Amino acid sequence: MILDLILPRRSKYYVAAFALLGTLFSLAPLVVQWVNYTNPIYAFEDSFVVDKFSIIFKGLFILITYLTFLLSINFIESDKYYQGEYYYLLLSSLLGALIVSSSRDLLTIFIGIELASTPMFLLSGWKKGDRKSNEGAIKFFLLGVLSASLILYGFSLLYGLTGKIVFSEISTFIINGALQSSPVLLLSAILVISGLGFKISIVPFHSWAPDTYEGAPLPVTAYLSVSSKATGFVALIILLTKVFSSAGESWGVILAIIAGLTMTLGNLVALQQSNPVRLLAYSSIAQAGFILAPLAVAGITGNFQDGIFASVTYLIIYAFMNLGAFLSVQLFSNHAGSTNFYEWGGIAKKSPLTGVLTTIFFFSLAGIPPLGGWFAKFVVFRSMLSTGEPIGLTLGIVGAVNAVIALVYYARISKVIWMDELKDVDSENSFQFESPLKVVGVFTVLITFISGIFPGIFSYLGEVSSIFFGN
Amino acid sequence: MEILTNGVGLSAVVFFPLVSALVITLIPKSQEFLIKGFALVSSIITFVFSVLLLLEFDFSSADKLQLGNKISWIKSINANYEIGIDGISLPLLVLSTFITVLAIIYSIEHLPEPKSPKGFLALILVLETGMNGTFVALDLILFFVFFEIVLLPMYFMIGIWGDRTVRTVAGFKNQIETRLYASIKFFVFTLFGSAFMLLGFLGLYYRGNKTFSIPELIELGSAGAFTGTFATLVFAVLFLGFAVKVPMWPLHTWLPDAHTAAPTVGSVLLAAILLKLGSYGFVRIAIPILPEQAKAWAPAIAILSAIGIIYGSLACLAQTDLKRLIAFSSVGHMGFVMLGIASLTPIGINAAMIGMVAHGVITGLLFFLSGSMAHTYHTRDMGRLGGNMKLLPKTGALLGFTAMASLGLPGLAGFWGEFMALLGAYNPLEGLNVTVFRTSMVAGAIGTVLTAGYLLWMLQRVNLGEPSEEWMDKELHDADAYELAAWIPLVILTILIGVFPKLIFGATNDAVIAMLSKAFGG
Repeated sequence: MILDLILPRRSKYYVAAFALLGTLFSLAPLVVQWVNYTNPIYAFEDSFVVDKFSIIFKGLFILITYLTFLLSINFIESDKYYQGEYYYLLLSSLLGALIVSSSRDLLTIFIGIELASTPMFLLSGWKKGDRKSNEGAIKFFLLGVLSASLILYGFSLLYGLTGKIVFSEISTFIINGALQSSPVLLLSAILVISGLGFKISIVPFHSWAPDTYEGAPLPVTAYLSVSSKATGFVALIILLTKVFSSAGESWGVILAIIAGLTMTLGNLVALQQSNPVRLLAYSSIAQAGFILAPLAVAGITGNFQDGIFASVTYLIIYAFMNLGAFLSVQLFSNHAGSTNFYEWGGIAKKSPLTGVLTTIFFFSLAGIPPLGGWFAKFVVFRSMLSTGEPIGLTLGIVGAVNAVIALVYYARISKVIWMDELKDVDSENSFQFESPLKVVGVFTVLITFISGIFPGIFSYLGEVSSIFFGN
Repeated sequence: MEILTNGVGLSAVVFFPLVSALVITLIPKSQEFLIKGFALVSSIITFVFSVLLLLEFDFSSADKLQLGNKISWIKSINANYEIGIDGISLPLLVLSTFITVLAIIYSIEHLPEPKSPKGFLALILVLETGMNGTFVALDLILFFVFFEIVLLPMYFMIGIWGDRTVRTVAGFKNQIETRLYASIKFFVFTLFGSAFMLLGFLGLYYRGNKTFSIPELIELGSAGAFTGTFATLVFAVLFLGFAVKVPMWPLHTWLPDAHTAAPTVGSVLLAAILLKLGSYGFVRIAIPILPEQAKAWAPAIAILSAIGIIYGSLACLAQTDLKRLIAFSSVGHMGFVMLGIASLTPIGINAAMIGMVAHGVITGLLFFLSGSMAHTYHTRDMGRLGGNMKLLPKTGALLGFTAMASLGLPGLAGFWGEFMALLGAYNPLEGLNVTVFRTSMVAGAIGTVLTAGYLLWMLQRVNLGEPSEEWMDKELHDADAYELAAWIPLVILTILIGVFPKLIFGATNDAVIAMLSKAFGG
């Protein structure tokens, strides 16, 4: 059980190859655990658990990190410095994410969250000479510290209220003491949501994301927008369901408003972007709104099973299609030497393969069948409408309008690369598509298609989320 | 044959084009002949499959869903891969596979700029999968997926191969190429409708025992399971989804732009099949599942259709662009289809069914002809054309014939849909407001006169008269073998349906009557 935690760390000071092997190898114990799974295993006095929920997310985090490594290889080699540190920091962040998905007490989860995000402060400032990179990293760092303190403050209130740190004990204490409507509990929930809100970049805690994304090296940005976000969401899901579930009606409404605002604002601002990375940053804010919405509705209706199922499904599909989208941005911006995608006119003609990949990922993000994104959006709508609550219905309508707005900017990239005229015909530099990147492309595109055409493979998540909420 | 009856044949009609499209993407670009040949052969094979299904189809029980299958698809939400056809979907399915063959024949020699046959033909085949799938799907989610699959290929077809004229569009600072504006407008309009349609589907799912199966929901709906505000809301969003696609006035504004900008083959497929997805949705889903709401909305639909008919024909009278004129004529013709549907009577819905097929055949042919003429003359401006009969006798004769068919000349396909839709509107389902329907009928009748007016005027401007100086010394090529091969079958079909409307009614009538009696009793 611990093996999957230790292995990546061993690769500390070695280079790419070892990091790749290490991450891939650490999937093995997970597979074994999955196959032999019977009941959740608890350790360290109930503060650490291995259940199907955590196994799935560990698998996801490890895969994401693996793909990020593949994205990074050429990028970091061209830099010639601090290779070891780069991989070490990413692996530490991975370790944090792995801890979060298994944690069941306040201290463990806090350590996990911070371990996952602290290395990212350094990584986002990796391009030392670049002012944008520095600016982004400092913003990220300051807000990150603020968010950590908010989370801690929320935790301390919780501890003050109940005197326990293990989730199951806290939640029993709340129910036994009839503290569901205690203002302190609500305040603590709000603080925790705000603190984690920075990690998952929801409105109004999103302002760092576009600058940091733009400044950080692209693979790091991809990791930030996928893995860090997923870590935040996993922590949020665990805390909301295991600790705050009894006060669901109060935080549900707040989350619902935040979710609606997040999608709308993210999408509207994304419409204005000409930098593909900033566009993806705002799009990922909007997507966070979609992931958050089912949780909000679940809080209000108490139907956590549907809500968790929807959020988790969305998170997984989103992770792969977004990584794919970053891959295509990396390929095209390297080739065009420009970070303004309006200058990419007709670039798909240079590499139709990359053009097709880009089209697939961006339309999947827009939720067009038969690409994976449609099923993600679909389960979210499904959970919103599950009980016919007015708030769920309103969110559904907001979500539907947003899906249409989002299409406009997602389609714009395809429009530029396919339909606009090729600008600099005489620049004959050949198109670079290195083989590690090809692996990422094939992998993500396969998942995008399979999850769209046979979404049945996500059915087990329904069972997992019911088990998760049950215990 | 068993593989035809157990659903495999039907699935083949849906997925064979998709598989072929994938194969085409693997053929190297330089092998143009191979690409074209392969696309043609696979579209013909798909058509042959659909004909085999037609032969296997049991017309004596055309009211029942046949040749289908149901297998589990997404267990967690109880969505199934449930397919089947009845008398309502059969003609549309065959029409769809047939038009695709003709579209590919035409494309062999007449690819729009920038050529690239590989992408173009692959997109046509993907489009075919979406269209065929929509007509056979019996599960709301499956229907939704296929309904959406058609968007991407059509978006790229318009956007890449479309009209490159630069124009100023209200609301845009800079001038923009027609194709770019039209393609995204088409996409956004349709997605807007279908995003809400999906919410409606989910509503039905939660109220209807958590099933997405259309036959099961029809059972529930006719037993009165969906009532009140809920049902009104659901019908409203379904209406939005389908009406955008049809398109009904006032949601039609994407259509003239899309049609005008699309390459010839794109316009043909758009007019012949894509528009039918909307009206088919009404007949297959909205009316049988929510009969009471359909009744409540019918007068509104009738009024909107009547406005669409009048508006469409008036707009036609104002056009100078040949292709745009045909596009607006689609608004009018689909108005007749929707008027027939709104009457909720067997005669009206049968009219809608034959109207759909006839519009597909006739308007498809009109778009072929106008596209070919635009290619020859390099203009679609009717003010500059003229004397076409003398310059291009074959094309001109066909244009004359098709215009006659389009204005509803008895003996040709277009007649039945218009005439019977008016008949249906004269005597709508019991309980509907007769005044509203008779007024709509009168409006529709005026519309037929206007339709005749603009089509004859169009013929006068384009076909008759003396050719202008402009074309005198130019070498103009009349229709070639590929074009004729694509057009003649449509001419034959127009005459056949016109003389033997039973070709269509034989399939649709029982199914329509069964559907209506289940929904409205008696």
